[in-house]
Amino acid sequence: MTALARIAVERVGAVAVAAVDGEVDASNAADVDGRLRALLDNRARALVVDLTAMRYLDSAGINLLFELGAALRDRQQRLHLVVDPAGPIARMLALSGLSAREATHPTRAAALAAAA
Amino acid sequence: MRPRSAPIAPVPVTAPGETLASLQRLADAALAYLSQDELLGELLTRVVEILRADTAAILLLDETGERLVARAAHGIEEEVEQRVAIPLGAGFAGRVAAGRRAVRIDDVDAADIHNPILREKGIRSLLGVPLLVEGRVLGVLHVGSLVPRRFTEEESALLQLAADRAALAIAQATLYQQERAARERAEAATRQLQSLQRVTDAALAYLPQDDLLSELLRRVAEIVRADTAAILLLGADGRELHPRAAKGIEAGERSAPVPVGRGFAGRIAADRRAVRIDDVSRAEILNPVLRERGIRSLLGVPLLVEGRVLGVLHVGSLAPRRFTDEDRELLQLAADRAALAIEYAELYEQRHLAETLQRHLLPDLRGVRGVEVASRYLPASQKTMGGDWYDAFALPGGRVALAVGDVVGHGVSAAAVMAQLRTALRAYAVDGHPPAEVVERMNHVMWQLGPRAMTTLAYVVLDPEHGTLEHVSAGHPPPLAIAPDGRAGYLPVATNVPLAVAPVVGYRSRVHPYPLGATILLYTDGLVERRGELLDVGLERLREAAAGVPAAEAACARIVATLVPEQRADDVALIALRVPAPPAVLRQEWPTERSALVAIRQQLRRWLRAQGASEDETYDITVAAQEACANAIEHAYRPGPHSFELEARCDGGRVRLTVRDRGRWRAPRGEHRGRGLRLMRMLMDDVAIRPGDEGTLVVLERALRGRRP
Repeated sequence: MTALARIAVERVGAVAVAAVDGEVDASNAADVDGRLRALLDNRARALVVDLTAMRYLDSAGINLLFELGAALRDRQQRLHLVVDPAGPIARMLALSGLSAREATHPTRAAALAAAA
Repeated sequence: MRPRSAPIAPVPVTAPGETLASLQRLADAALAYLSQDELLGELLTRVVEILRADTAAILLLDETGERLVARAAHGIEEEVEQRVAIPLGAGFAGRVAAGRRAVRIDDVDAADIHNPILREKGIRSLLGVPLLVEGRVLGVLHVGSLVPRRFTEEESALLQLAADRAALAIAQATLYQQERAARERAEAATRQLQSLQRVTDAALAYLPQDDLLSELLRRVAEIVRADTAAILLLGADGRELHPRAAKGIEAGERSAPVPVGRGFAGRIAADRRAVRIDDVSRAEILNPVLRERGIRSLLGVPLLVEGRVLGVLHVGSLAPRRFTDEDRELLQLAADRAALAIEYAELYEQRHLAETLQRHLLPDLRGVRGVEVASRYLPASQKTMGGDWYDAFALPGGRVALAVGDVVGHGVSAAAVMAQLRTALRAYAVDGHPPAEVVERMNHVMWQLGPRAMTTLAYVVLDPEHGTLEHVSAGHPPPLAIAPDGRAGYLPVATNVPLAVAPVVGYRSRVHPYPLGATILLYTDGLVERRGELLDVGLERLREAAAGVPAAEAACARIVATLVPEQRADDVALIALRVPAPPAVLRQEWPTERSALVAIRQQLRRWLRAQGASEDETYDITVAAQEACANAIEHAYRPGPHSFELEARCDGGRVRLTVRDRGRWRAPRGEHRGRGLRLMRMLMDDVAIRPGDEGTLVVLERALRGRRP
């Protein structure tokens, strides 16, 4: 079976970095949402979601990022997104207003620096 | 004498003390412990003593019920030794049996005596009584005297008593024999089941599959004592069961195939479990032959090999019968053996060998829409399993992986290497490694298996959405590309060594453009190599054969027909893959399931690229279309299966997408529900939503600016 999206998790200090690789649509958004939410904990101040290797994102994925950001904010935490500023994913985040609401960074290092 | 039945009743004779003692001797319970032969012999001895006769004999009706055969004798042992047989109704004993009553012959010379031994022995007088059990005649007991004598009524009664005792013993022995025979049959059945695989395996070498199936059915019917038995095998498409062999069912004309899921056999295959029908007249039976044959009860089980359904085995009874759980287990056991035998038979039949291997090797590409895959596996003339191997599978992003390999070895060892290759390739490819890295890692695995794992390999990853093809060769002949216009040519190869010759190689790949509609052919050297000929000659022969045939299946068919001889020294494997160019107008029905979204995206991206849309335009229009499709899927709230239609056309550089569903438009509620709609409006030039009673129509339009030539 070919997984539509894969998530690789790395911990840098107390910050979890989730790299989402592949495509997120209405068929797997709930699954991806569940796996990202499993990374929430009370110690970290932030969660970094790296979308550099993401190849497809529509409103299903954008909705889940909005909700993930809200869930983090409820815990006094922040969502940091890593996204290629020249790619289509960045355009989707801008069009949907997500990049106005959540912090976006061109590189993982920048996101980690902001999240620390 | 009236017919009497066992057990021995007191004889209504006014017996003197001697007679009583005689009675006891004949009814002696201890006789029951003797074997039948001993008992009959002992009875005759006692009868002779009690009646002071010279001879005694017991004749039993044979299985035809028409002849009496000497079974035990005293004083005329020749009777048994010579197997004297007397027709029922004829002669002395024949009359006793036919008349079911005692017969007395005072003067043998004046009587009709069939048996020459009686005359030759000088017997002068005879007394015979029937052996009766529950009114059935089993045979005759008679005594003879060498001096003329007139047997009395009392003697006749005593003899009848002895006859009853003998009859009882014989009946018991018969029952015991029947029971023992039944047990032996059961034991034989078990042995037969245990040996079924061995027997069928041995038989395989000599029997064509049809004969094998008939033989299996004969055994199965015997084992479960059924009147009919039949085997249906699943067709190549997996949708229908085809009657292949039957016993006890007139095969006159071959019955029609049974759809999987319907009827008796169809349900067994669909549910992969046994089905029992106690009363056929009340069940859904699709096969008219079963109804017309007068079958009253049925029991059927699936033929399974490694969880795959090969077909169905069923047995029937002409008398109403409730097949037991034991029957079912026995039948399933037989079916398991039969399934293996069928599988083996197929493996050994070359035509089937190819099919079986293709079934095992040719993967499921249903996950990738709009891709044509065709393949052939043609083993070498000797029926040894070769080392040729191929695979094809879907990768994320609408990409397709294609591989062909040739393991140096043959037989089981090569098969084991192939299995490892396949596993390693799929694992590393799906893990997201680039092609050269996948091959490098495979090499590392194969290197550890040693020299027997040496393999040449061609690995190709096709990306139809970006129109590229990446190829890695590990000592393998080059891929052949057949362009949409029919021109055929070999792709330039970055040469690398085969797998398992060095621990680290540094495999390199090459990227080529892939125009939609082109066919990529991978093959093993058996297709192009001829003894005493340069490889280039063979390559050119293949190129010529494939030129002008751009469709994958047609190309394989033409190549095999033109290049592969009947007798061949080496295996030949080939696999062709083609992603057809999308039609100018895309129109397709899709199920209202979220899982359809990926396939829709893949198809739409290819179509948009074919229209000349830029990278960004392709992305934007795809997202907008997906939002409309996702809406159609969410709105399918009425029960039952649903579908919606997506149409895409492009006129004068303006893309127009129409999504037509049969649900009712629901105004988006809440912040998130409206996001898709807003996104759609931002991404497209024009969005029109037309709700209606029959369904909702969403029309999306956008002019392409970044048109590529």
